[in-house]
Amino acid sequence: MKVDIGREIQQSAEETAGKIRGLLAARNVFSVNLISSPGSGKTTLIEKAIEALRGRIRIAVVEGDMETDIDAARIRRHGVQVHQINTRSSCHIPPFLLLSALDHLDLDAADLLFVENVGNLVCPAEVPLGEDLRVVALSVAEGDEKPLKYPLVFKTSDLLVITKTDLLPYVKFDTDRVKTAARAVNPRVEVFEVSSYTGSGLSSFLERIEELCRRKIG
Amino acid sequence: MHELGIANDILDIALAEAKKHGNRRITRVDLEVGVLRGIVPENLVFLFGHVAKGTIAEGAHLAIEEQPARVECGTCGTTEARVFTIGCPGCGSPTARVERGDAMRILSMEIDD
Ligand SMILES: Nc1nc2c(ncn2[C@@H]2O[C@H](COP(=O)(O)OP(=O)(O)OP(=O)(O)O)[C@@H](O)[C@H]2O)c(=O)[nH]1
Ligand SMILES: [Mg+2]
Ligand SMILES: [Zn+2]
Repeated sequence: MKVDIGREIQQSAEETAGKIRGLLAARNVFSVNLISSPGSGKTTLIEKAIEALRGRIRIAVVEGDMETDIDAARIRRHGVQVHQINTRSSCHIPPFLLLSALDHLDLDAADLLFVENVGNLVCPAEVPLGEDLRVVALSVAEGDEKPLKYPLVFKTSDLLVITKTDLLPYVKFDTDRVKTAARAVNPRVEVFEVSSYTGSGLSSFLERIEELCRRKIG
Repeated sequence: MHELGIANDILDIALAEAKKHGNRRITRVDLEVGVLRGIVPENLVFLFGHVAKGTIAEGAHLAIEEQPARVECGTCGTTEARVFTIGCPGCGSPTARVERGDAMRILSMEIDD
């Protein structure tokens, strides 16, 4: 006998993401899900954002790693609220872990929540975290064919940040090729080119984040 | 790891549906998976067989229908892509839009009469 189902497989993830979205809306917090391969410079970008926006936007951070609280310790040094999630065997932050992590933060004292996902360009792309903004970072050392190999994360992100542009003289990386490939799957993606080491391009990226944040929280 | 979580989700949904029908044995599950999902069908089939062991879905056939991506090109119109392509497969135009291809849903299943 045939039974019709017609159900999205990740419906329970969508439901939990909906709860996160509701909670953050009620507390007037703008959330950013930051995704990249391991080591593309996510934590460094968050550190730069904290310093650049200090006194204007109150930042809180959730760090996702399979093991250790190394990244949370880095963030804590900047004097902002941070909670570390250890996902153990999971290669991404599942929504239920983010929901329980939010219990550890004082959301009324935050305007902008950065969620640094587990370093991985594949699985986090599948998983909704109720975020207002999804940002994918790609460092120039990783190769310019990445949007071709991992299309989903580029398709589902609002912003693409090309990081470590200070390394461009040393690597073969065609920025236009990346932009073209990313826009083919996602015509509305906004692209930024930054170096956290030299500071190049950081201000326009962070201004955009601040603008989008203010648009939500007023 | 990635496919394992999905295999578990499929099993959970199938078992919940079977419960509504007196927990009869599940013999087949039909899925639709978009080509942009990065899922390797053989891996998913293998892992589903593994997690279904010892349940009423043990031995069920997992049938995966691939959902192609739809490429919309200003010159060539709409074509279907079975693999991810940059730009239009017809004329190579980089401004072609890529739509769909990201489904992941259980369509139906077969249970014993
Ligand atoms: N050259 C260069 N190196 C950078 C830049 N930003 C970060 N790095 C270096 O890249 C390495 C990884 O940076 P992280 O910020 O830890 O990267 P991540 O994405 O948070 O790494 P995971 O959390 O492990 O996935 C460190 O050695 C950083 O100092 C940059 O703009 N230029
Ligand atoms: Mg990090
Ligand atoms: Zn064409």
